[in-house]
Amino acid sequence: MGTINSAFSLISGALDADQSALSIVANNVANANTPGYTTEIPNWQENQPVTISGVAYGDGVTQTGATSLRDRVLEQRLDQQQQLAASSGARSTALNSVQALFTPDSGAASATAGDIGSDITGFFNSFSSLEADPANISLRDEVLSSATTLAGDISNAAASLNAQRSAVDQEASGVTSQVNSLSGEIAQLNQQIESTSPTGNAGVLEDQRQQDLSQLSQLIGINQVQTENNGLSVTTTSGQLLAGNGVSFPLTSGTVGGVTHFFVGTADVTTQLASGGGQLGGLLIARDQDIPSALNALNQMAYNISTQVNAQNNAGTDLNGVTGTAANPLNIFSSPAAVAGSAAAMSVVMTDPSQIAAAAAGQGTGDNSNTTAMANLSNQAIVGGQTPTDFYSSFVSTLGATVSGVQADNTAQNASVTQLQTQNNALSGVNLNDEAAAMSTLQSSYQAASQVFTMLNTIMAAALNLGDQTTVA
Amino acid sequence: MRVDPSYVSNLVGSLDQAQANEQQLTAELSSGVSITSLSQNPVSSGQNVLLLNQIQQDDSFTQSSNLVTGQLQVADSTLGGVVTQLTQAISLATSANNGTMNSSDVKSIGAQISGILDEVQSLANTSYQGQYIFAGGQTSTTPFTTSTGGSPNVTTYNGDQDVNHIETPNGQKIQLNVPGSQIFLGAGPNSVFAALNSLVADYSTGAVNTTQAVSDSQALSTALSYVSQHRVTIDNSITQLTAASEAVTSSQTQLTGAQSNLMQADVAQVSTQLSLAETQQTALEDVIAQLDQASNSLFSKLQ
Repeated sequence: MGTINSAFSLISGALDADQSALSIVANNVANANTPGYTTEIPNWQENQPVTISGVAYGDGVTQTGATSLRDRVLEQRLDQQQQLAASSGARSTALNSVQALFTPDSGAASATAGDIGSDITGFFNSFSSLEADPANISLRDEVLSSATTLAGDISNAAASLNAQRSAVDQEASGVTSQVNSLSGEIAQLNQQIESTSPTGNAGVLEDQRQQDLSQLSQLIGINQVQTENNGLSVTTTSGQLLAGNGVSFPLTSGTVGGVTHFFVGTADVTTQLASGGGQLGGLLIARDQDIPSALNALNQMAYNISTQVNAQNNAGTDLNGVTGTAANPLNIFSSPAAVAGSAAAMSVVMTDPSQIAAAAAGQGTGDNSNTTAMANLSNQAIVGGQTPTDFYSSFVSTLGATVSGVQADNTAQNASVTQLQTQNNALSGVNLNDEAAAMSTLQSSYQAASQVFTMLNTIMAAALNLGDQTTVA
Repeated sequence: MRVDPSYVSNLVGSLDQAQANEQQLTAELSSGVSITSLSQNPVSSGQNVLLLNQIQQDDSFTQSSNLVTGQLQVADSTLGGVVTQLTQAISLATSANNGTMNSSDVKSIGAQISGILDEVQSLANTSYQGQYIFAGGQTSTTPFTTSTGGSPNVTTYNGDQDVNHIETPNGQKIQLNVPGSQIFLGAGPNSVFAALNSLVADYSTGAVNTTQAVSDSQALSTALSYVSQHRVTIDNSITQLTAASEAVTSSQTQLTGAQSNLMQADVAQVSTQLSLAETQQTALEDVIAQLDQASNSLFSKLQ
């Protein structure tokens, strides 16, 4: 048989449970704007009924703590998508600085400065002009000055690309320390989670771990593997372990061939990290693929234009009647030894305009046939199987298409991140309306329980006084 | 159904995007250029390089063509002068050969023809901007010199047989000069200087060998028509150059039009887009403001 005493204990248990649920709601509201906080819901558990003389009596309610509302699959999807978006974001930023070096020439005279396409045309046009009057010194000066402009713009662009490459390299190597502090933190949190809540919800600890994973996903591509006792192994996308239970394996960096390479233990994981994603992945793609390919195009142009123009100039006779020889060449451009590095080193070595070999070998100084041959180099496939202008044109188209492709990828990936974020917020974010409703419900039930308590008190007093109203109140 | 409680921050993201869009459109309007970076339109950027190359080539050819037209016109008018001089020499020789003149008249005609010879030689040594135009490739060497003391004197050519061409942007080659030896020192009876020198020798003594003088006069007539033939080559070059120049100018106009279409902002279209973007921004701002005014959550209703 249930007693008034048991009713007291039952209702005071209910008051306790309501209080602790209220504190959970209050905690939710307090953390409404905390990054990484996962909304918590109170767990209610019906107490075991007491069976007396074959009759079961309910024994009230217990508050067994809070459960975080999280969906690990959704969180992992979000992390993965963030890795992709961070990668294309970093790559797109790097590519934007690359394409800024090759801004399209609007055609207005003031805008032609620094445009390599116009420089190439201007250089070969200066030979066409020289055809009209091959001995004219001012036309010859024009050839050297347009050659200087071309060489200057190509070497400036190459120097800027090299500078951008080392800036990207530095940025990439700076990522390591952030990765290591995050993976160390994850390893520690793993240990705490495994010891405090091997089976259930780890609440705040898990929020912190998720927040670290999310930050780590911005930096590099990772895989997450759930292990026993609520632990989590974090590996790179290629499988090198970064963080396990209490131990973490740092990402180290070292210079190989002039650029930073990345290691886990002794394994060089640079290539894998590049394709893995995250900010580091994007930076490595820009550093190892995008910028070198732009540089290579410039090198090819510089090497072939320099070599071919020099060769043609050595095939003719200059204004002094001299024909270039291997020992005493009449070079307009510095002679490049190899394709690599030729853009940065491109320069004009000729200072005397009379050394331009306008005439064919052995002809008088009024002859212009070698000038015509030099002007015609602009219509010959001397750079990578294309004319110099065609080569430059397809280079800018390709670069533009790469940048625009990466930007489109980045936009799509960011949209998908936003979508997943919305889904995740809908589940795990603190919804103040929900909290207000819960608060209101709990308030009512707390008021009801305390009302029951007051009434029980009256009943208890009545029972103790056996009808006398004055003895016990 | 649960919703994302932080939807206002998404709206702010859209607002940022609308503003970035407006910024881009405003930049297009103020600069008049629609493509400011390669990634905006990679294909057009590539085409733009090719179009500008052709436009600049055309432009450069137009300038060169003005320069060489000047030179060709000087050559043409010089040869015109030569023809006049030679015609005069022929009529002088004809009058000397008709047997009615006394010895001093014949000598005086000889002296006049000698003067014409000097004049023709100086015309053959004409230079344009410091370069001899009838010297082939040896433009810095005086092309014609005449030895004195011989009978007849001999005029020699110090130039070479080099012919220069200018190439139009579509590859047509236009001849720029005719070597002086071809004009003035043709083979046999075609040599202007040989005929003139012979006539001077014929009349210098005052006693005319009529047969020889008539034959030399005829040689001069032949040489004159030979000069005229070469003048036609120069005239042809001028005509070709004018035609090429006109073709290039018209192609340049078309290319410039195409390039403008490619790169210039379409003001009407950009303005419409800008106005749309502004409307969107205003709408977004209103939505955010209203959300701000509305109670942020149920809490504001709880007492």
